[in-house]
Amino acid sequence: MSNQSSGIFNWINDRLPIKNTYERHLSKHPVPKKVNFWYMFGALASVVLIIQIVSGIWLMFGYENTEEGAFASVEYIMRDVDYGWIIRYMHTTGASLFFAVVYLHMFRGLMYGSYHKPRELVWIFGMTIYLVMMAEGFLGYVLPYGQMSYWGAQVIISLFGAIPYIGESLELWVRGDYYISGATISRFFALHVVALPLILIALVFMHLVALHEVGAGNPEGVDIEKHLDKDGVPLDSVPFFPYKILNALVAIGIFGIVFSIIMFFFPEGGGYMLELANFEEANPLSTPDHIAPVWYYSPYYAMLRAIPDKLGGLIVMGAAIAILFVVPWLDRSKAASIRYKGNLSKIAMATFVLSWLMLAWLGTMPVTELRTTLSQIGTVIYFAFFLLMPIYTSIEKSKPVPERL
Amino acid sequence: MKKLLIVSFLCFISAHTFSSESAPCGDYGQCEAFKPQLNNLESLQLGSVTFMNNCYGCHSLKYSRWNRIAKDLEIPEEMLASNLVYGQTVKLGDRMTGSMDKVSAESWFGISPPDLTLVTRLHGSNWVYTYLKTFYEDASQPYGVNNMVYPGAAMPNVLASLQGQQILSCKDIPIIASNGGVKRDLSGNDLTEEKCGYLKTIPNSGTLTEAEFDEVIYNLVNFMTYVGEPSRADRERIGWYVILFFIIFTSFAYLLFREYQKDYH
Repeated sequence: MSNQSSGIFNWINDRLPIKNTYERHLSKHPVPKKVNFWYMFGALASVVLIIQIVSGIWLMFGYENTEEGAFASVEYIMRDVDYGWIIRYMHTTGASLFFAVVYLHMFRGLMYGSYHKPRELVWIFGMTIYLVMMAEGFLGYVLPYGQMSYWGAQVIISLFGAIPYIGESLELWVRGDYYISGATISRFFALHVVALPLILIALVFMHLVALHEVGAGNPEGVDIEKHLDKDGVPLDSVPFFPYKILNALVAIGIFGIVFSIIMFFFPEGGGYMLELANFEEANPLSTPDHIAPVWYYSPYYAMLRAIPDKLGGLIVMGAAIAILFVVPWLDRSKAASIRYKGNLSKIAMATFVLSWLMLAWLGTMPVTELRTTLSQIGTVIYFAFFLLMPIYTSIEKSKPVPERL
Repeated sequence: MKKLLIVSFLCFISAHTFSSESAPCGDYGQCEAFKPQLNNLESLQLGSVTFMNNCYGCHSLKYSRWNRIAKDLEIPEEMLASNLVYGQTVKLGDRMTGSMDKVSAESWFGISPPDLTLVTRLHGSNWVYTYLKTFYEDASQPYGVNNMVYPGAAMPNVLASLQGQQILSCKDIPIIASNGGVKRDLSGNDLTEEKCGYLKTIPNSGTLTEAEFDEVIYNLVNFMTYVGEPSRADRERIGWYVILFFIIFTSFAYLLFREYQKDYH
């Protein structure tokens, strides 16, 4: 029997590189032996991606992509579909936690310089994933067609109108109608469930292929490729399978606990994950008093509102995302990790984190004069962190990075 | 770095906690607290009776179905059909689409009464609970009543016969000095000032006592909280098992991780 099955295996393996792929990406893939919990969020992000895809497919069974039926079909899933509420809450909680783990993953990258040579492309693929995720999240948010879906979409789509010359026709083209309607819902549905997920999966694949080509970083910023054994394997590494997958398994377990606490006991996330105004069907005739995005867009929404001019706000918001792409070339420090960078970098990083959190909070609050000023200050700090990076990382004195992990 | 992170996190939380917006319950200020008991079937059943008898004439529960309520609240279907369902053509698998014609409703009230399936999720159960208790007599309004939580509400006080007449009254309130104590005159008597806008029920004007009325409203809002999310009790029950599973899973994953870590540490 075993001869026979190994015969079948060999037959397939001669035609499909199963063994090579398994060894290259799992059983022989070297991973730095000392990493901390910050290195788990990438694995968690892929877990959430799978949750989103699977729960999304199940939601599609019951969802109706029409103006008349969208809102009621979500309630149909919540009430009439057996355990439909689990599927829906899994998807809504997953959406928020996807952003949470991706933000922590990105912050890890900034903190330990994961974008340093030779990992620039890994970083760029990652940033593209983030960009696509933002679009994906927005499109999905419109689909239940509640009040906040409608008015949020109104605000975001109208941003296209601020682009000179082509703005108005672009707005119409995106919306598919003169106002948000069934035409908008059905195209957003197609983009949300087919187009963007395909792009997302392709990008995640590229992100991982590029990562496996250059190898994972570590919190010390040590280049483990410098010290190899006689087979060319880094001395400070262990194979991903069966060793490092166990780190991920523990992380997934802890993440599962957090996920279930939120999903089963606080699915609305205090109105930050499922906004309460969205429990009312979209009504084009009544504008809500306060239009707020879900928390994961709020820092950028705060920047948008901080600028008095609509086009200016749009440019600033776009630039805030765009600037993340060039971070590998802004950081001139010899040390990758914050542990060996100078004090200027540490101060800059701490101020940046504070201002980002402040912007996140401001983005969810109604506008007052003081808050607009705070948003402007936050925006300036956000950009200063990146634009001044070439200066403070080259003038400060970094500590020597150790040779071995 | 870690310290800075913690400090920044705390700043964020405190900024959040101390920010105050306009009062959630309108002129009433803070809403009264409402803690649902979704496993208290008796309360839910009584609430459903109050809803069907007093609210369902105008308001629908259009995302809910009759037999779902019968099943969840353990009301026998025949009993539900003969006592709570009005209308010969209604089947128990139907949605509870209400009985009032939208066009007529708009001509009577100026606005058609909203569907209430999700009202407790939209405004919160606290809000609905406070709203239902804060109608008061106001001759300037079309129905002779106004509401503190939602001033100008286009809804008559349907439960007035139970609660009795509620009016806005004034009372003498001790004046608080800047040091936090009560202001007194030279002979040591407390100084007071008249403040208005307090709700007061005229005794014996309704069929229920205040406590009985509160209970009726409690059961009603408890039922409405249930209708807003019928799976909530299930959700909170199943949640514990899922969390328990992940705790056991994590423990074993950790033990395995520790065992394998010995190979390279």
